[in-house]
Amino acid sequence: MVIETDGLTKMYCQKVGCSEICLNVGEGQIFGFLGPNGAGKSTLVKILVGLLFPTAGSARILGKPLGDQGVRRKIGFLPENFRYQDWLTGVELLSFHGSLYGLRGAEKTRRIRQVLERVGLGDKGRQKVGSYSKGMQQRVGLACALLPDPELIFLDEPTSALDPLGRREVREIMLDLREKGKTIFLNSHLLSEVEMICDRVAIINKGNIVKEGPLGKLLAGAVEVEMVAGNITQKMVDELSALGSLLKVKGNTIRLSLRETGDIPVVAEIVVNNGGRLFSLNTRQNSLEDLFVDLVKEGGADKC
Amino acid sequence: MLTIAALTCKEVVRRRILLVTIVLAAAFLSLYGIGVHYGYQDMGGSQYAGPMSALIAPMFLSLGLYFGSFIIAFLAVMAAVGSVSGEIENGVINAIVPSPVRRVDIILGKFIGYSLMLSVFSSLFYAAVLLIVRYNTGLHLPVKAGAITLFCLQPVVLLAVTMFGSTFLSTLANGIACFMLYAVGVVGGMLEQIGTLVNSQMLVNIGIVSSLLMPADSVYRKIVFNLLSAPGSSMSYMMLGPFGSYSEPSVWMLVYTGLYIVIFLALASLIFSRKDI
Repeated sequence: MVIETDGLTKMYCQKVGCSEICLNVGEGQIFGFLGPNGAGKSTLVKILVGLLFPTAGSARILGKPLGDQGVRRKIGFLPENFRYQDWLTGVELLSFHGSLYGLRGAEKTRRIRQVLERVGLGDKGRQKVGSYSKGMQQRVGLACALLPDPELIFLDEPTSALDPLGRREVREIMLDLREKGKTIFLNSHLLSEVEMICDRVAIINKGNIVKEGPLGKLLAGAVEVEMVAGNITQKMVDELSALGSLLKVKGNTIRLSLRETGDIPVVAEIVVNNGGRLFSLNTRQNSLEDLFVDLVKEGGADKC
Repeated sequence: MLTIAALTCKEVVRRRILLVTIVLAAAFLSLYGIGVHYGYQDMGGSQYAGPMSALIAPMFLSLGLYFGSFIIAFLAVMAAVGSVSGEIENGVINAIVPSPVRRVDIILGKFIGYSLMLSVFSSLFYAAVLLIVRYNTGLHLPVKAGAITLFCLQPVVLLAVTMFGSTFLSTLANGIACFMLYAVGVVGGMLEQIGTLVNSQMLVNIGIVSSLLMPADSVYRKIVFNLLSAPGSSMSYMMLGPFGSYSEPSVWMLVYTGLYIVIFLALASLIFSRKDI
């Protein structure tokens, strides 16, 4: 495992930052970490990169305990509130970060040129960081994270300041990194972005992980059905409710969320067996957004 | 550590902290040079020219070094006041701490960078004051490496405290605290000299306590005594009032000053190493 956490907890006096976080992130995957504002996403990332110290629990990164200097050489990090020395040029900033990671001479120059090209700042390297737009500053931050050719990259809201084209470029960079066997821990609010590229996701709410697993599996079970039927009875509604959660009954329209895709024919059977007349039945696979909203509303937690 | 030190030096230059200080120091030295020139020249025509000339040149020298120490102290505090807190407040440190550099190395690197810059500036300032006095008054003082080193040591003492404060105080609170502490040292040093002059043990004790709280002023007294008590010089170091030094601070005071720097640096490193960012 690239990241293993066991009961990782951070308390700010009486306030919970994150509580008993147990996560396992395997090699070569894009791991999406989701949660509403103030849920504890950045707290966990900050603990893992060494900015915060956990109150309880433990974690191992690339097989070593938190804070191991050797492991830090293999980690790249783009902070959420990215701010860099605005009095340096892009190249100087990268040169400084390269030196921190032990890069020297021609190797450093080559890597700087490579990452600047990769993030679309190939011709802006001689400009002062202070003259960059917010999007360009985020790009140069991403370049800093990629500079040491890390095995594990933490990206905290990496596209928050980018336009749609920039977001697409960053997605392509992440997919490209995964192709090369790198592991990416993506902390993002953008559910559509996470849904597009992540292999696994974890959802955190009020400091606790409420769901974690492969994205496909998390979304596979749940399906939403909307049907128009005549002669709707209370018995029919009760039987339908047992298949999942009833979302809406209005006039001849019933909308419900099923736990299993295999229950779709059962829905039709219940309507017909209860004397109803089925006019239409449409299904829609639940999106990550639906899952996210449901879980955050429920507020339950997966304990270790 | 050296990467951080190099970046710190570059920051002082790029953010024009050094440039502003050099411009202000040049303004001060120009005014000082004009003052020394006309003060000494005009005094030549007075009836007290003979006895006064032996006193006035060392007085000009001590004034130059005293107010020069002020300027350099301001530079030390202003440069380092947000060295840690400022970078935490604006988020710049978030990209540095996760890199494979120990937090203690970040503190030491910054300290080395600022110390280097302050030492170069202090040495040049010291040389400029001595040259102005020598050119205008003819007061010939031997070049003493010890005195130059001590002159460079003064801002480093303040730097260590400022960096310590920067690890747990906000930038503004740290700036106020450091200037107040420096003022305590300066006022205490003056009271000690007055106490010696009027034979008041209480004032002397206040001076000793203030020197323990902030030993930068003791270092200045050591420099003045060291410079003006050289063989062949007059005993005018005793006649410089609060700018002079009636008794030489002991070697143990220098040892204490060294320990003071080391302890505050160690505390800064310790606090920063355990700090949540």
